[in-house]
Amino acid sequence: MIPLPNIDSSLTHAVRTIDLTKHYRDFAALVDLNLQIPAGQVFGLLGPNGAGKTTFLRTLLGFIFPTGGRAEVMGLDPVKQSVEVRRNVSYLPGDARLPREMRGSSVLRFFAEIQAYGDLERSLDVARRLELDLKRFVGFMSTGMRQKLALAAVLGSRAPLLILDEPTANLDPTVRSNVLEMVMEARDEKRTVIFSSHVLSEIEDVCDNVAFLKRGRLVHEQSLRDLKQRHRIVANWPPAEMPVPQVPDSLREIVQDVTVHRDRIIIDTSGDLAQLLPWLESLSLSQMRIEAFGLRAMYDSIHRREDAETPTS
Amino acid sequence: MIHPVLVRKYANQSLLLWSSCGLALFSFAWVRVWVVSLLDMGQFRTILEQFRDFERFAPISFDALFTHTGRVAMTFDEPIVILCTVVWCISRGSDVVSGELGRGTLEMLLAQAISRTTLLLSHAFVSIGGLALLALLLWAGMACGIANTTITETVPAPVVRIPFTMIEVPLTMGGPIEETFAMSAEVDWRTFATGTFSLFAFGFFLLGLSTMFSSLDRYRWRTVGAVVSIYVVQLVIFGLGKSTERLDWLRGWSFFNCYRPQKQIARVVNEGPWAPWSLTGADSESWFGPLYYPLVLLVGGLVFYVIAIVVFRRRDLPAPL
Repeated sequence: MIPLPNIDSSLTHAVRTIDLTKHYRDFAALVDLNLQIPAGQVFGLLGPNGAGKTTFLRTLLGFIFPTGGRAEVMGLDPVKQSVEVRRNVSYLPGDARLPREMRGSSVLRFFAEIQAYGDLERSLDVARRLELDLKRFVGFMSTGMRQKLALAAVLGSRAPLLILDEPTANLDPTVRSNVLEMVMEARDEKRTVIFSSHVLSEIEDVCDNVAFLKRGRLVHEQSLRDLKQRHRIVANWPPAEMPVPQVPDSLREIVQDVTVHRDRIIIDTSGDLAQLLPWLESLSLSQMRIEAFGLRAMYDSIHRREDAETPTS
Repeated sequence: MIHPVLVRKYANQSLLLWSSCGLALFSFAWVRVWVVSLLDMGQFRTILEQFRDFERFAPISFDALFTHTGRVAMTFDEPIVILCTVVWCISRGSDVVSGELGRGTLEMLLAQAISRTTLLLSHAFVSIGGLALLALLLWAGMACGIANTTITETVPAPVVRIPFTMIEVPLTMGGPIEETFAMSAEVDWRTFATGTFSLFAFGFFLLGLSTMFSSLDRYRWRTVGAVVSIYVVQLVIFGLGKSTERLDWLRGWSFFNCYRPQKQIARVVNEGPWAPWSLTGADSESWFGPLYYPLVLLVGGLVFYVIAIVVFRRRDLPAPL
């Protein structure tokens, strides 16, 4: 059995970017991105299509060169030391395509041989867990099977940094949960995982931190542990002409936002709800319900805010 | 600089194409030599004399073809030989970057700890090695043909010409004598080493050209289109240069002018086995020594490879479509 690589314990951040920028002529794919991804965590990347998630990941691997700023991956510069960077990384592209003329088993053998931390036994084990038929030629595999094969090649590696771009795309629910389990196993091995996905529930399930990108900019970073302390209170607010209620100074740290939409009031909170109850009672709300402030609510609120701030032409 | 796992992958990937081209070249070369034995030299001369007006379009003077060595050497200019070489070079050269990009497989490949230079050189190792082996297979086919072919020639009866009368009187009463001998008695297979080298240089130039275009592009069909267009334009320029003396200068602008295996072989026949391997010794048909021409092709191919590496190392790799 190949031992796990010695992960440099002094490395506090697996990835660090400073004003990272990528322009394609007039189009800004990444704008002054400052992001730090702690080592040993599962870090989520969220954003709509075209937000710059894939551009960011491909810049980290040295596939594309930044037009400004810089990045560090495992303490290495992906522009000048891209081979060293990729030695430490196992990457699953968003649209993983494999040589069609090879059988599944040959593909796994090929990647195990060429990866710095490749391990054929582990790859075969992942393939078994994903119930993949390795005798087939890639050309005769379905999209889901090809995704499983790519996952087996990538997750079988013992590289200290895993970069997974939409790893559960095209997979059925059972396989999805298997993949998420393997991501958590990677974290247990003290490896870092960058997990880009559109599926908010997956990010919520596996990530320690999440970054929201929009139009190439970092718009928000959130710890998932903190998110679980956040709630949203929704209630009827009948007097439409009444102004938005004032938040008492003592509760300003807990109440993050108060908005009124037609006849409904939405109060976003962060922290102990018990302190809030007397104030809520004083508002004479009806049909009140308290929801955990999930990633969905946060995603929507960030995008509403960003859309409101972006001037329309 | 060359990764053995990549070399194995590229070798497996190209094995079918290489085997097909190799089989075609080897068997064609053998059959071509055998066909030479079927046509009597006298008949061949008679046929060729009919086309004297078009001699300037031939790669070599007709007189050089009135030997068995000259006729076997024509193999290097046969369309099948050129076609197999061109197919191998363009298909392999165009595959390295734009082919992998088009199929979307480059991303997974370059996500590993291999540099872009290593990827390109590993591919080049297989492609150039494959080309060299194809050229050697052609030579081997010719050698097998030479070793296994016998020639039957009709020797005309000896005559004596009566002075001033132009009357020829046979010295014997019998008919023409038929002589059978092994082709190897007249044709040395080693003579064709220089032609094989010329074919390799020609292919190397095309490989470099298509690799360079591949490293610039993201669509293989466009790479193939660009290389084939250049090939056709160069061929037309060369053809125009040969058509009339007025346009003779055009030949210098075509790389086909540097592919002259038959002339190289004629030098071996006339001046000895080492004559084509010299940079000196220009003659009436050549501006430079015989080795200069394949060297131009080799240097050209090398320059294209260097450009391909520089471009590939600097470019952004687009995401798969």
